[in-house]
Amino acid sequence: MVKRLTAWVLDGDPLGFGTMSSVARGRVREMMGEVMTAQGRSLPADDTADLREIGFRSLDFSELALRVEDELGDELNFDAPGLRRIATVGDVLDFIEQLQSA
Amino acid sequence: MTAAVTSRRRTTALIGDDNTVVVAGKRLTWRTLHKLPQLPSPAAVLVDSGADALAAVRHHAVHGTELLVATQSRVDLRMREELGESGFAIVLPDGAVTPARLKRVEESGRAWLLTSGSTGRPKRIGHTLESLTTVTGDQPPRTWLLPYSPGTYAWWQVVTLSLTQADQGLVVIEPNELEEWPAVAAEHGVTAASGTPTFWRQAIYRDADALAAVPLEQITLGGEPVDQAILDQLREVFPKARISWIYASSEVGASIVVHDGKAGFPKSWLDREPDPERPVLSVEGDELVIRSPHHGAGLVGAVHTGDRVEYDGDRVLITGRLDTDEINVGGSKVSAGVVRNVLMGHPGVSWARVFARKAPLVGRMVAAEVVPNRALGPITDADLVQWCSTRLPDYGVPRRIKFLDEIPQKETLKSDV
Repeated sequence: MVKRLTAWVLDGDPLGFGTMSSVARGRVREMMGEVMTAQGRSLPADDTADLREIGFRSLDFSELALRVEDELGDELNFDAPGLRRIATVGDVLDFIEQLQSA
Repeated sequence: MTAAVTSRRRTTALIGDDNTVVVAGKRLTWRTLHKLPQLPSPAAVLVDSGADALAAVRHHAVHGTELLVATQSRVDLRMREELGESGFAIVLPDGAVTPARLKRVEESGRAWLLTSGSTGRPKRIGHTLESLTTVTGDQPPRTWLLPYSPGTYAWWQVVTLSLTQADQGLVVIEPNELEEWPAVAAEHGVTAASGTPTFWRQAIYRDADALAAVPLEQITLGGEPVDQAILDQLREVFPKARISWIYASSEVGASIVVHDGKAGFPKSWLDREPDPERPVLSVEGDELVIRSPHHGAGLVGAVHTGDRVEYDGDRVLITGRLDTDEINVGGSKVSAGVVRNVLMGHPGVSWARVFARKAPLVGRMVAAEVVPNRALGPITDADLVQWCSTRLPDYGVPRRIKFLDEIPQKETLKSDV
């Protein structure tokens, strides 16, 4: 079931029309760093860093998704995008970006 | 045994009729409580004050009427209709009586309880004053706090103790006095109090000094899983009091009573030789199963409690309801109650609720709401994640923690856990 994102933010929207909300890539990266820090690890600056090597596991990915959802105020739709390989930090950021536009 | 009995009998001796009963600041006794001369039978008496509920119980005890007593808010319109169709006249707080839709012979001496309804709509469980009186024998003189909502099993436990035993006074706490109960209790010399862990946690959280001013000799916890942290905190405030926890419910009565200050009960209590006075405890799968002499009417044999247990060394811990307690994180199962106990063990946490949250990849993740202990300075979610990481498997560590300003509480004094 495809669910559209319906959260609206007014930041940078002085006229109050609202825009379809999304969490910017940089902010998602920041949150990914927070997830890693909470687990006693750190997120390298390089987007090509391998997730297995830096110890970013499925629980961490799930937590990141929840953090993004909390910031959006809505659920991400994981049903829409096709399966894909997520091996690097950049893959995670791409994937979250894609989910938000799904 | 539900056969109707036509001749009324006094169901139990009112040995406590001259015990003190403090209601709304007034010092009375059971005997001098206001009377309800026109109370029909069978009657469902819906109250909005503890005093009316006690008056209904005394009437029931003296006249052997059939009675269900509950707070007005617990009995919705649909349930009132159901009660009417089952032969109960409905008595409202203002005295208005709706006659029963079904005319039937009363069951003399029958007291009906409504279950808490935590697993669905409340059910009616038949008892008598005898089956509700689980504390007998010589008791030291005490003045009991009565903070429970009228008609609940825990309320009946304290009420029957005071009505049927000598020197067991009562101090009734009305809902509007709940936040300030330690002041009321100190004023009237309360020496014994029974409450849910949430009730005690809130009292410590609101004002530990006010709580410490109550001259408590007996502290009882029940109605919710009891964790070690709350037992330890109470021990710190009351080094000399006897601290007990009770596992009791409308269905199985008071079945487990533990006085050693530890959470859970000894494993050696499982599957003991049957004794007519003592419930038999056993575990099937993860579920606590009880055969009890204090069962409600019509409940015979083993009662599957729906409560989940877990072993911890030589103790059996009751961690929560089976249907809500288990969280499946990507195929690994964790008990919400166990996670909650770990969170509650953190000195900076006054209260915690643990629940499953839908998450990608793993299906469900452990999440929590926490009320911090303001006296101990700020804590962060990272502090708690770290605390849990050293005590739980990684899938059991709550990944999303929300901080609340105060402990949510339901009318039953249980938290919404």
